[in-house]
Amino acid sequence: MSPSLFFHLVLVEAKKLMSYRVDFWITMVVALVVNLVILWALWEAIFAESGKELIGGWDLNGILAYGVMVFLTGRIVRGGDLQMSVATDIYDGALSRYLLYPRHYPFIKYAQQVGNILPDLFQSLMMGLVAIPLLGISTTADVTPISLLMAIPSILVAHLLFFLMSLTPQYIAFWADNVWSLSVMLRFVTMLLGGAMLPLTLFPESIQVGLHWLPFSYLFEFPTLVALGKIDLVTWLEGICYCLLWSLLIGLLSIPVWRRGDLRYTGVGI
Amino acid sequence: MNRYLRLYLQFLKFSFSRSLEYRMDFWFRIVMDCMFYVVELIFFTILYQHTDMLGGWNYDQILIFVSGFLVIDAIHMTVFSNNMWWMPILVNKGDLDYYVVRPVSSLFFLSLRDFAANSFLNLLIASGILCWSILRYPGELETTNLIWFLFLILNGAFLHYILQMFFQIPVFWTHTNRGLVTAFFSATELMERPDKIYSIWTRRILMTVFPALLVIALPARILFEGPDPLLISWVLGVTACSFLGMRAFWNLALRHYSSASS
Repeated sequence: MSPSLFFHLVLVEAKKLMSYRVDFWITMVVALVVNLVILWALWEAIFAESGKELIGGWDLNGILAYGVMVFLTGRIVRGGDLQMSVATDIYDGALSRYLLYPRHYPFIKYAQQVGNILPDLFQSLMMGLVAIPLLGISTTADVTPISLLMAIPSILVAHLLFFLMSLTPQYIAFWADNVWSLSVMLRFVTMLLGGAMLPLTLFPESIQVGLHWLPFSYLFEFPTLVALGKIDLVTWLEGICYCLLWSLLIGLLSIPVWRRGDLRYTGVGI
Repeated sequence: MNRYLRLYLQFLKFSFSRSLEYRMDFWFRIVMDCMFYVVELIFFTILYQHTDMLGGWNYDQILIFVSGFLVIDAIHMTVFSNNMWWMPILVNKGDLDYYVVRPVSSLFFLSLRDFAANSFLNLLIASGILCWSILRYPGELETTNLIWFLFLILNGAFLHYILQMFFQIPVFWTHTNRGLVTAFFSATELMERPDKIYSIWTRRILMTVFPALLVIALPARILFEGPDPLLISWVLGVTACSFLGMRAFWNLALRHYSSASS
């Protein structure tokens, strides 16, 4: 796919999302306020009631910074979630239109998902400007301009990985009448095992070792730790490479599912 | 009343037979809800690896609190969620006309007509988790407290529905309520934490303006600390006022409904 076509699709999708401005702002403000209220209340209570200075290697301000940052980066990464986009194309028969295009369907969908994250990027930046100054100084996290710059490619590869992960459950729509539940399941699993709900250092040691061998931590925890300055340059490069390798593997796994499903597709919708 | 009961039985019959037509979705949805339960339980289990108490509750108490929330969520998914999903679509397409002209309350019809039979299985599972968490509780739970708790869980499910309706009804004036509904689901996270972790002002807001703590946190407190008449009256009073407010809002919205152009 040519870069100009890719960016054209990105812009079209971003414009479409921005057309519902009230929705855009309501979602952003409520989500930010609720997240901050819960984060503060929960972790202050845990630190106060446990009497500990450090939990899972984090002090109170550090874990709050993690919570805010994982929320902000997570919004962008989850922008790769197709939700029902592919399934709807299959159910409505709209996929036929894409099959006639001289471009691969997943690439068009990926361009559209990148378009989806542009408003999220803007929102996250705005929220970061509001929330980060509210955070106290932590001894366990150090947000710097360099760490934030390093976080950008980490977030982009995480977004790609999430997109590819959500592709196969969507292809199940060739066989199943409704795959919404599969997308939601994927979200639950990735949120918990990817570190979006809690830092993975809080998990028991044996589970942490297991999670190290799975792709989930590259979705949420890795970009967040990069933004918080907890990842050195070598580990960062390794992390990006692992994330791309996982993306390649999961992308390859989705190909046979697409081919099989494509054979079943009748184009009349259901 | 009898007419409404008979009508609801028809909704149930129809919903069960329809859900069995889509068997794969039937099982997907059950697994999805079970996964939600597991994630919620794991979340608190991990937190309690690092603290003995949270909001004044120990692990055994938090398990009952979380299980209570799971039951409320299951009731919501079974009874209301499908209807909430369809409501904005019906309003925008003008299909609400068919419901407004029927000789029954349109609010009743639109809120209850689609019963999610697959989620009903999840309701049984969530109730099982609640029973398990109560049975394994090492302390003594008085029968009166337990009866109030179970009654207030039902009240909590109803309040959850009322609160969501406040976020759904604006679709009569706006083209889409996606943002509002997303905002509501973000705000429901406030219900999923013990009330005592919040500061006094946040608690006041969450007991009046957006009464999220009345859904499960206060019922759980009544279970552990005994039925406080003032607290129970507050929970029931706020629910009743919210319902009246929501019904008035619904009637106002219906007056502004102008068929397909809404």
